Amino acid sequence: MSIFLQQLINGLELGSLYALVALGYTLIYGILEMLNFAHGDVYMVGAFLAAGVAAFFVHNEVAAIPAGLVVGLMVVVAMGGAGLLGVGIERIAYRPLRNANRLAPLITAIGVSLFLESAVQVWVSPAPVLVPSNALVPQTVLHFGTLTTPLTGLSLFVVAIALMVALDAFVFRTRFGSAMRATAQDREAATFMGIDVDRVILVTFFVASALAGMAGVLFGLWHATADFFMGYLLGIKAFTAAVIGGIGNIRGAMIGGMLLGVLESLAGGFISTQFQDTFVFLALITVLLIRPQGLFGQPLTDRA
Amino acid sequence: MAQPRIFALIAVATVGLAACGGGSTTGAAANKPDKVQIAAEGPFTGDQASIGAGALKAIQLAVSDFNKAGGVNGTPVGLLIWDDQHSAQTAQTLQAAGIADPTVLGIVGPMNSGVVLGSVTGLQAATPPLPFVSESASNTKVTDSGWSVAHRVNARDDAQGPADAAFMIAQGAKKVEVMDAKSDYSTALADQTEAALKAKSIPTQRDSVKAGTTDFSTIITKIKSFNADWVYFADEGPEAAPFVSQLKQAGLTIGNNINFLGTDGEEDSSIITKSQSAYDGAYATNITADPAGVSGSAAAAYVTEYKTAYGPDSLSSAGPFYGSAYEAAQTLLQAIKNSPVNNGKISRADVISHLASDTFTTIFGSVKFNAKGDVTGGGIYVYQAKGNAMVVLKQVSG
Repeated sequence: MSIFLQQLINGLELGSLYALVALGYTLIYGILEMLNFAHGDVYMVGAFLAAGVAAFFVHNEVAAIPAGLVVGLMVVVAMGGAGLLGVGIERIAYRPLRNANRLAPLITAIGVSLFLESAVQVWVSPAPVLVPSNALVPQTVLHFGTLTTPLTGLSLFVVAIALMVALDAFVFRTRFGSAMRATAQDREAATFMGIDVDRVILVTFFVASALAGMAGVLFGLWHATADFFMGYLLGIKAFTAAVIGGIGNIRGAMIGGMLLGVLESLAGGFISTQFQDTFVFLALITVLLIRPQGLFGQPLTDRA
Repeated sequence: MAQPRIFALIAVATVGLAACGGGSTTGAAANKPDKVQIAAEGPFTGDQASIGAGALKAIQLAVSDFNKAGGVNGTPVGLLIWDDQHSAQTAQTLQAAGIADPTVLGIVGPMNSGVVLGSVTGLQAATPPLPFVSESASNTKVTDSGWSVAHRVNARDDAQGPADAAFMIAQGAKKVEVMDAKSDYSTALADQTEAALKAKSIPTQRDSVKAGTTDFSTIITKIKSFNADWVYFADEGPEAAPFVSQLKQAGLTIGNNINFLGTDGEEDSSIITKSQSAYDGAYATNITADPAGVSGSAAAAYVTEYKTAYGPDSLSSAGPFYGSAYEAAQTLLQAIKNSPVNNGKISRADVISHLASDTFTTIFGSVKFNAKGDVTGGGIYVYQAKGNAMVVLKQVSG
């Protein structure tokens, strides 16, 4: 039983990482009905920005600034940098194709993804880099009876939940959020109502990418590493989570992410790590067979 | 009427020059070939750039050294760079260009067993077949399948797996977690080691991680509940640092309540810093020698040369195969140099027969391929992470 609970904790921590990234897929899909395949790589760039800030202050010992401030700077730089990267990608790679055939932005998205991976590999590092987490955050391991979790893992979970609640409030409680939802529902009608659709899209990209950047920081502090390939597999998993939850649905992405993390952990823990992904994608197929719109998605007929 | 005469004059002049060229050297083998090219193939970018990038630098150095020493009777060897990104499909595309060009005489690489097995039939079917000398492909099938093009300077899985198992048993292993990274190289090696452990009645638990995995909590929970005292991870390398960091985070400290044996790509001192010293005390075996860890003046001179060419810190990103890549390039270049030149051309068929018959001088001493294409006496070396370096403990076979 305690092993089951331990795997559940592992799964929830991993799942909150998936959920943070899945939110980006779902936000952008909701507004533009396009798959931003480069989103996993925006997360990777966020992790590298955080690693860069951390390495700059920890290794060079520029000034004896407190670790908390360094972590704060990592968050600001990674969220801001990833957000701006997302906005830049939208302006350069997606906006010129907004009225093109649906396949075209999908192809440019894959192109952007490959570009980011190669750029980081060639210009930054082909091998994993260290995020010096030992010097920044306490490496405490919490014990609950036989169950353990590192403090950084628990923080990842808590911060992720807090961000999701904040995002939910932003989308459903604020004026800008209703503009976003209006744009998602019918872009043309929203324009007629005086909504600046381009601005809504830019802000959506910024928010989605900043969340991915934050996921990069939290991951770096949790597992102390960043490498140029880290966004690929995680991006696919997060996208799967968004589809399971119902792509375009924010709460669906959160729950889908958690569900996928737990499923992966339990499948790996109790069946086989060799077939872990087989079970994950089997779950995706099952969900799509029973509810093609995902767990929380609207039926497709409503949208058409 | 004037034109044919000019052509005739040019023809006479050309023949005369050619005759002079031939006359100034002695014997047919000393003819200067028109053009000689070899290719370096490996994952120079992509998910395994950490092993490929350093090997490419080594091959570039080997070719430049060879050319400085006179090349092939005065013709410098051109180096083509084939970045297969650990994909057999990409490899086939790159190799097709080389197969079509008769001046491409051989390949240093491919580095990954999976890439070799996925592209070797094309190399073998070419006329004449295009030979390769790999610096790191260890799957037994690479040289056991009867391909005349296949050569490698590294030791094989079926030597490494049992040697790894024997090493852990000798160190007192009671229960071993065996992990692979789902590649042709890693799964085959983990199978060999697991079989050798089971043959000695050591209980094992088997897990796999996909390349690019960064969270290992599921497996670490399994390791703890299995009560393993050794973790064996057959991996090309990039997963090792996050894995051992997470082991430590979960309360399993290497050298204290868990032992770790890695392979090849994990014989990399940068893992120690990248894991914030969680790797300290870990062991790793390598199917090739690390020039910085063996005695011998040629190897030491090579290490100095590598550092001079690529910077004093370059060894930290050179990967595990920067020695064997140089060695593989040396064997191929010497086989080409020993091949006869006819009308300015060297045939790949002759390169293959010289690879089979000749003894080569390398930074690790003299090397000769056996009938299959394996090196005779290929060694396996055990390293341990100590301080900031991987230190050679011993050579366990070969």
